[in-house]
Amino acid sequence: MANSAMPGAAKQLVQTLVYGLTTLLLYSLLYVFEDSVLGLSSRGGWYFIFPVTIAFVFSFVHGTFTGRFWDVLGIKARK
Amino acid sequence: MELAANFVHLDPLHIFYLFTVGVIGGLVSGFIGSGGAFVLTPAMMSMGVPGVVAVASNICHKFPKALVGALKRAKYGQVDVKLGLVVGASAEAGMLYGAHVQETIKRAFGDSGSNLYVSAAFVVVLAIVGGYVLRDAWKIHKSGAADAEEKVNALARRAQAIHIPYTMMYFKSLNARVSILFTVPLGFATGMLAATIAVGGFIGVPGMHYVLGAPSLMASATELVVAFVMGLGGTIKYAWSGFVDIRLAMIILAGSLFGIQLGAIGTTYVKPYLIKVVMGVIMVLVLFSRGIVIPVYLAELKIIGALGPTTVTALNGVSFAIMILALASGAFIILAALAKGIRAERRAEALAAPAFAAGTVAVPVSPQLSPIGRFERFLLATDGSEFSTGAVRESLRMAQKCGARLHVVSVLSHDVEYESLGEQLLKQELDKAQAHLEQVQAQAAAAGIACETRHVQASEIYQEIVNEAERVQADLIIMGRRGGHALARMMLGDTTAKVIGHARCSVLVVPRAAELAGRHFVLATDGSRYADAAAATVASLAGLCHTPVTVVSVTMPSHSKQRREEAKRAVRRTVVFLKQEGVAADGDVLHGRADRMIVEAAQTKNSDLIVIGSHGRTGLERALLGSISERIIGETRNAVLVVKAA
Repeated sequence: MANSAMPGAAKQLVQTLVYGLTTLLLYSLLYVFEDSVLGLSSRGGWYFIFPVTIAFVFSFVHGTFTGRFWDVLGIKARK
Repeated sequence: MELAANFVHLDPLHIFYLFTVGVIGGLVSGFIGSGGAFVLTPAMMSMGVPGVVAVASNICHKFPKALVGALKRAKYGQVDVKLGLVVGASAEAGMLYGAHVQETIKRAFGDSGSNLYVSAAFVVVLAIVGGYVLRDAWKIHKSGAADAEEKVNALARRAQAIHIPYTMMYFKSLNARVSILFTVPLGFATGMLAATIAVGGFIGVPGMHYVLGAPSLMASATELVVAFVMGLGGTIKYAWSGFVDIRLAMIILAGSLFGIQLGAIGTTYVKPYLIKVVMGVIMVLVLFSRGIVIPVYLAELKIIGALGPTTVTALNGVSFAIMILALASGAFIILAALAKGIRAERRAEALAAPAFAAGTVAVPVSPQLSPIGRFERFLLATDGSEFSTGAVRESLRMAQKCGARLHVVSVLSHDVEYESLGEQLLKQELDKAQAHLEQVQAQAAAAGIACETRHVQASEIYQEIVNEAERVQADLIIMGRRGGHALARMMLGDTTAKVIGHARCSVLVVPRAAELAGRHFVLATDGSRYADAAAATVASLAGLCHTPVTVVSVTMPSHSKQRREEAKRAVRRTVVFLKQEGVAADGDVLHGRADRMIVEAAQTKNSDLIVIGSHGRTGLERALLGSISERIIGETRNAVLVVKAA
């Protein structure tokens, strides 16, 4: 409910921050569980699912964040 | 355990280095569709990462990067997904074959033989293709035709003219059919180059442009689809053998996604010829970078005399520096073009700032700061279709009655499907929209209404309407509704529903046949502050039109006695408020499904307007809970005013 009452720019900023913080969380998890993640993703065979899934998840969250990031800075595509 | 030796320890400097190279590489890839990755493999190897892990990790960052870039550029209508998938499939085969060739050479001639093969491939391919691209860019520059439309060249015209039965396929980027016997070798070569020098796009983009006839902007964007297909296949192949260092891949991805978004944005500001300039400059510089180290490999293979260690180090160092220079030069050209484009766009916007038509009526200035129920500025959103006729008619009537300014916006869809209509059809649509706006403006002028019109193109129509309402500080958005009751209710993606969900001001939805004659209004209340805001708005509107109002609240059989009492109190309180405001009002508590009961009440009372307060739910919350407003709008033939509480 709070979001709907927010001005467009503030709402956009909040959403960008949420995606940014989620990205940060993902990278923190990668850092903290470095050994386990590396072990699983380099085990070979069907374990290829691990690096591929990680890449998809990171690209979705971080990709959304970076898209909004430039938007918030006012760097937008020409209409 | 053996694999553990493949993965290096990462220090902050390494991370920063990879992140930065990722940003620049992503920028170039976002712009020319490829070409950002070639520097990453040697960059990782210089940190002590084994070659195979560097290649595997590079390719693992490439496919998610290409995905994000392709999605972004698809928004701008630049991607031909079909062409990308067709070329990508054969590129996958080419990549597997290229990797096999690499392994064979490595087994026969060792690391030096493999390196010599890679460098020779760089030099030969980049000399031929890079030279051609740069020469073409130079010719365009010299002819002064940089701003002119791109023409399909003679080679592509010949390829499109060859008809080979059972192999012809239509591609929208070419706007022609072409035999897949041309796309398959192109894809295969792209894949082989990708497996050899990590940048298949140096063949893929010029190939799609010069051989098949795709516009250079579309060729570079479609290459991102090819890169995604190849990257995913390559990642699976290397990850199957356990060579991917996911840390390296994700660090590079962190930087490259910033870059690729910026590069993609850059393509919307430049002339297609600049794609060729950037690609040509990078290719020729990389050619020198790889050419300079060929003597090192020749010496290692004992084809020429041995070189001193200082010479080897110096040649390797110069080679790497030129490679970085190549990437930095490309990035510099893109950023300069982007900055110039944004500046020009802002200047143009400032010049095109709308002014009110001369001879318009004076508009009262409210002493209050945006009070609820103020009707001074209306935004009419129209697409010129039959579904907007009611909205146009009633907005003019209301603006005249309230002495309000009328801003009219016509938003034309600007997406992939729309682009595919072709330039001619697009122009027709634009002309139609312009003519419609001029017609509305003429009607407004005849009625003495201050009217401003604006035409925009956007990929998200609802967003543009909401933005426009913010820009003009509209008190009310007036728009039509697409037909179809049940379907309209189900379509959560419907523009009207989305505008209601996202707008900060109230929204009046006028079906085609609805008329706002001011006979009778129905106000729905649930006692919430949103309903109170709706009551304040109705008081203002009914006061202007001297219209009687019926206040209704709806309870369901499952509701408790307390809830029913609350409904009665809410109705009583609202009726008293309206009477105090000088409005003739009565009230009723109904039992049943809220949307049905409200619509029926409006029918019974021969009402011409239903007014409801909005909780302003958007996104998931709206999808899960549904929206009574949306259902009412879908079911009634009356106009519906959805009031937003501040």
